[in-house]
Amino acid sequence: MTTTPTDLPRLEVCVGGLRMKNPVTTASGTFGYGQEYDRYFDVSCLGAVTTKSITLQPRPGNKPPRLVETPAGLLNAIGLQNVGLDAYLAEKVPFLRAKQVPIIANIYGKSADEYAELARRLEEAGAADAIEANLSCPNVHDARRARGAVLVSQDCDAVAQYTRVIRSATRLPLFVKLTPNVVDIREPALAAQESGADAVCLINTLLGMAIDPETRRPKLSNVVGGLSGPAIRPIAVKMVWDAAQVLKIPIIGMGGICRAEDAVEFLLAGATAVAVGSMSFRQPDAAVAIIRGISDYLVRHGFSDVCQIVGKVRL
Amino acid sequence: MTEEVFVCSPSIREQRFLLECAVVSNDPVAPSHYRMRLHGPEIAAAAVCGQFCMLEVSKTLQPFLRRPMCFERIHPPTFDVLYKVEGEGTRLLSQFLPGQRISVQGPLGKGFPICSGVRRHILVAGGIGVAAMPALAEELVRRFAAVPEVVLAARTRDDVINEAFFRELGCHVQCATDDGSWGHRGLATDLLEQLKPEAQDCVYACGPMPMMRAVAALTAASGAMCFVSLEAQMACGDGACLGCVVQAKEEREGERMVRVCLDGPVFDARVIDWEAQDDNDAD
Repeated sequence: MTTTPTDLPRLEVCVGGLRMKNPVTTASGTFGYGQEYDRYFDVSCLGAVTTKSITLQPRPGNKPPRLVETPAGLLNAIGLQNVGLDAYLAEKVPFLRAKQVPIIANIYGKSADEYAELARRLEEAGAADAIEANLSCPNVHDARRARGAVLVSQDCDAVAQYTRVIRSATRLPLFVKLTPNVVDIREPALAAQESGADAVCLINTLLGMAIDPETRRPKLSNVVGGLSGPAIRPIAVKMVWDAAQVLKIPIIGMGGICRAEDAVEFLLAGATAVAVGSMSFRQPDAAVAIIRGISDYLVRHGFSDVCQIVGKVRL
Repeated sequence: MTEEVFVCSPSIREQRFLLECAVVSNDPVAPSHYRMRLHGPEIAAAAVCGQFCMLEVSKTLQPFLRRPMCFERIHPPTFDVLYKVEGEGTRLLSQFLPGQRISVQGPLGKGFPICSGVRRHILVAGGIGVAAMPALAEELVRRFAAVPEVVLAARTRDDVINEAFFRELGCHVQCATDDGSWGHRGLATDLLEQLKPEAQDCVYACGPMPMMRAVAALTAASGAMCFVSLEAQMACGDGACLGCVVQAKEEREGERMVRVCLDGPVFDARVIDWEAQDDNDAD
């Protein structure tokens, strides 16, 4: 059977006010600022580009070694190395705007006020179409954590407080990215929803560690790092499913998506959109094949709109 | 020596390919060492010496990441990579048969700068670091009709690779082995010291971190230019993941960290903070 363009299923989704022409974006930190991958494919075909975390000031990141490959995945402790807000606005945004691809700007601050300032300035500069607040980076040691505090997203009160403060600073769609290192993912997800988030992003990396038996030293200079890749996918799918049972706001699902079938798994579990993460390291144009593959899946199963499969796992 | 820090040139080309290349041959050249010749006209035509490519060693997701391999030789339409079997990725690579296809991403990174007006070109390779040198030697001979000095260091005689190749190319070759089974018993840097590098000379080095640190110190003292090809764990190979950074001596454009994949893998030795580099020593 040949399909004419009108037979193609509708892929457009709306995530907390952000319209995406297809449900595929990139996971923060795995896609630079988009330009790095435009050498391999036209990034304007993506539903959105999610940027590397942006901080108010440039950050040098952690000392090397920052990466170690693990079974079906990798551990990283980059430590939010990034160019900082000013350079992001001056050097990175023009490319993405010229591409006319929606920008999900991932932000990280040392306090709720810093997140709010980032969101405000990004909105003022027209440099984001949605804000993704990274409340869950496992690899930075800020003053808050030095006082013994856990990650913001491991503390529901903190999630609520940070979300409220950021919410009051911007009218852009606000996404909150959460850590899977919690007892019950529903709690921080609900805290984000009740405090004004438009969507939650599940999941950030899982904390992990690797030791070299020969040297008896940790393989990462940061000792521990965040685990990503297909190794974590079943955990991520389960967390998306858990959260989808209780949330009214949409979920962007991520964690080890390598192929279209993986993306479909997340959609069936209840994600409205998905992000391709570490697989872009292995296959720079992985997202393209995933977009095409989702469309093929919908055709094969007789669906005319991707929204028809969101949350439709058959129990 | 000029005061200006040399920013490595052969122009980083924006051209990238992601192609399935046919394996022409994949043969052992020394114990645990293999050379894979790949047919990839586009990649071979775009590549310069010192650059690298990323090979997908398995169609499954384990191992997950590609393996970075520098171009050992670039002879369009083919190119060679030389590798040592050390882990699962290189073990899988060694099982490829002629005619099979492998996904190659490249060419990547900045290669060796080719400087004119150099009195002597001195190539120093330790262990598998020799993989970076044949393409460079060929380029120097082709471009300047130079007679490069080549220092090859390895554990034992069996591990000395490419000696005959460099001799046939017209290089002046000296070898060092840890056990004295071939050439000088001792280190590459012993031989480099005997060559007495001077300010008009250019040294190119690739090998274990302690060797490169020593080469950098020796050349800095003598005023010779020195370019090193570094290795690092990397995920994307093209500047996005920021996983392969090494510490630079000074901040450049606000960055203390430089990426081996995109800012390198070849660096002016003066750029690198050698004291900060880990030897990954087993005790």
